[in-house]
Amino acid sequence: MAEALALIDANNFYASCEQALDPALLGKPVVVLSNNDGCVVSRSSEARQLGIGMGKPYFQIAEQLERHGVVVRSSNYALYGDMSQRLMSSLEPFVSELEVYSIDEAFVRLPRTGHGDLSDWASELRSRIRHNLGLPIAIGLASSKVLAKLANHTAKGDHRHAGVFDLTRYSNHDPWLERTPVEEVWGVGRRLSRWCHMRGIRNALQLRDMASGELKAKAGVVGLRLQLELQGVSCLPLDDSPSAKQETCVSRSFSRAVCSEQELREAVASYVSRAAEKLRRQRQRAGRLTVFARTSPFSAGFYSQAASSTLTLASNDTAVLLQAALRLVPRIYRPHKRFAKAGVLLQELQPENQLQWHLLSQLSSEDLQRREALMQSIDRLNHRYGRGTVQWAACGLQPAWMMRREQLSHAATTRLSDLPLVWAKG
Amino acid sequence: MNWPAESRPCPLRAPRLPLPLPLASDTVAAGFPSPADDYIDVGIDLNEVLIRHPSSTFFLRVSGDSMTGAGIHHGDLLVVDRSLEARPGQIVVAVLDGAFTLKQLVRHQGRLRLEAANSAYPALELHQCGDVQIWGVAIHVIHPLGRHG
Repeated sequence: MAEALALIDANNFYASCEQALDPALLGKPVVVLSNNDGCVVSRSSEARQLGIGMGKPYFQIAEQLERHGVVVRSSNYALYGDMSQRLMSSLEPFVSELEVYSIDEAFVRLPRTGHGDLSDWASELRSRIRHNLGLPIAIGLASSKVLAKLANHTAKGDHRHAGVFDLTRYSNHDPWLERTPVEEVWGVGRRLSRWCHMRGIRNALQLRDMASGELKAKAGVVGLRLQLELQGVSCLPLDDSPSAKQETCVSRSFSRAVCSEQELREAVASYVSRAAEKLRRQRQRAGRLTVFARTSPFSAGFYSQAASSTLTLASNDTAVLLQAALRLVPRIYRPHKRFAKAGVLLQELQPENQLQWHLLSQLSSEDLQRREALMQSIDRLNHRYGRGTVQWAACGLQPAWMMRREQLSHAATTRLSDLPLVWAKG
Repeated sequence: MNWPAESRPCPLRAPRLPLPLPLASDTVAAGFPSPADDYIDVGIDLNEVLIRHPSSTFFLRVSGDSMTGAGIHHGDLLVVDRSLEARPGQIVVAVLDGAFTLKQLVRHQGRLRLEAANSAYPALELHQCGDVQIWGVAIHVIHPLGRHG
């Protein structure tokens, strides 16, 4: 038998994290809202059973949620990020290779266990994660990544499989592939799927068996790999060494339209300060910075603008990045535009320890060290007492445009002041 | 930039910088090398002392006095490992009526029950309450000794 791969992911990850750290939510219907409390992005299984739709705008279903006693939460990225790391490091000892694919999914290569049954291995891993983290996961086993992704879909979609679907147990995949719509195949985008449908190719089986020359003409070598993967031939490698990030982006939608230049400056300043903090955590400096803003694409007179500048000396100093970013704001601002979103992109990232000295730099190395110490102290204060404890005045105080997160739960696993309470009262 | 609803103003004290404490350093560039340099250690990290399974270990804050008999006081920091199987004699975090509750798991006349470490509170027989879940096993308690610092 070929080597086995698996796609492991958490069910309803955000809602499951909320339930894992708040005992009042166990067994209760829970939904998590997107940024700005816009729409439903995660539903606990209890909420699914009530028929709460995915992606539904919150204001449309607020009443329905209340009637059913559904608990509503804003996205709590501090909690989800921490639980994601816990999930990945819990999986790690049980697999021989692991590629973190997204916040809640990982491709893994199975350890060579000889004759052990893969389904048993998977069921045991599943109950262990459930026990140790309180998170439900699904596991799809197959001989290639594309098939593992589809197997995971089956594991989750059909409750008879109890969260584990092992395709390697079946010698004939045809009936299963035939039931899979072509657009559900990983790697088939909207364009390729439209092209397939035009040719009468509606399911994964037809895609696997179509003339490869035709597919190659359309989708190139990517298409051929897809076809091989569907045949069970593994040709997409596991990427277990995520290369250092090349870019860091912070952008948010506003809670209401921003019209004044002052408010846009405050927003950009906040995002720069957040991005600089990220950069320092990644031990990187940025050589280039782009700010951008746009109005709502759904309203008339759509406007979108970006402006960039290159830094004399690559930096992760908030003050330096702020100065560069705020100089760009007048170039993206237009009066009478109702801005819905803005952001900052830090580019040309390089490791902190590889500083290219610049002849024109006016800073002595002593100055630089002092600045670094200041940044470290600020990061520590903000980590310890909560984000925004020490802030640049340019970011504004209590800004009105700030993202709405009215139902935010606590940073229960990452902040001392937010720890859950355990009662010793009875 | 995010002001979480729960971030009440709190007194700002000088930040206590995180461990580890370096025992020796190699910044001396001139002169004779320090005889201690061969013995440099990375310092003591309390995480290593308190946490065996980092990914399944959580911190909780104790509220109430029903466990003082076990040395766990109101306001203490509790280190809980969810990967351990609860055994009789251990202090456990149970989920009772939608809240975390701290108890000792005890075998009494062949049956498991949850007891407070304070005789004022009655024991809970596990077989009598259907939906009790053991959430994790408490492995350490961090208790400040009076006012200091």
